[in-house]
Amino acid sequence: MLMTRQEILDKLKEILVAADSGNKAITESCSEQSRLKEDFGLNSVNILYMVIAIEEAFGIYFDDVGVNSFSTVGEVIDYIEGKLR
Amino acid sequence: MSKPNKARVFSLKNTAHDFVWLTGAPVVFWQRPKIIYTSEKAKEKIRGGALLIANHTGIYDPVYMMLGVPYRRQFFIISEEVMDKPVGALFKACRCIRIDRNNPNLATFREIIARLKSGEVISMFPEGHISHDDSTSQFKSGMVLMAVRSGVPIVPMYIKPKTKPTERLTIVLGERVSVTELYGEHPTFAQIDAATKLLYERETELSGFIN
Repeated sequence: MLMTRQEILDKLKEILVAADSGNKAITESCSEQSRLKEDFGLNSVNILYMVIAIEEAFGIYFDDVGVNSFSTVGEVIDYIEGKLR
Repeated sequence: MSKPNKARVFSLKNTAHDFVWLTGAPVVFWQRPKIIYTSEKAKEKIRGGALLIANHTGIYDPVYMMLGVPYRRQFFIISEEVMDKPVGALFKACRCIRIDRNNPNLATFREIIARLKSGEVISMFPEGHISHDDSTSQFKSGMVLMAVRSGVPIVPMYIKPKTKPTERLTIVLGERVSVTELYGEHPTFAQIDAATKLLYERETELSGFIN
């Protein structure tokens, strides 16, 4: 069964909270417009870490993406949604 | 636990690497490297996959790293800027790994993990650039993620910057650090930063072992 965008967002929040509990308040209030670097303060290593965690959590395989391939949460959801189809 | 490197003596894919190593052998006599180990544990030979890190104060540092651990083939992570120069062809033949420092991609990261898991020694300079004032700049945390995902230890090495070309090369090798033993297989961002800081401290401590 396909996941809705909201379900994907909720799962992404879980991944981010597990990896960065210090930013829990920011993560839980985030939206699709939230920016990965500016709003969450993620650096390139954090983004790579997140991509790997997403692969494991959603059972998908990211193609050759760079850390600058995604700038907002919405873009990550678009990518995951495309892969889950 | 990573597998040991099976291709110890000869392997076709490492021909260029071994050719460079053999033709550069006279450098060993010229440099007369003096290797200091911080403890008996640091003296243990590196077996299987490992991430070797060192301070970076000059263009010859990769050669010095090879002299510090001469019994293992080392493959360097090299920036795009250097790989795009004519000498990059040689590095490519020697199976060095090209990295885009401004936009590291997943394919590069996966290649590093796979090679570490297969038992290779990957060498890198976690400062990400040459420090021209001989000091050690803050480390970038990518090495910690690589070590965690591949389950290999990180071995810190300090190369004493030379004040004149004829000066004897001095290298200090520290005890290996296992990030997975410290923080498990799924560290948080804060733990990755803590491990990076710990490795930086270990690296700066190494210089104190000279004299």
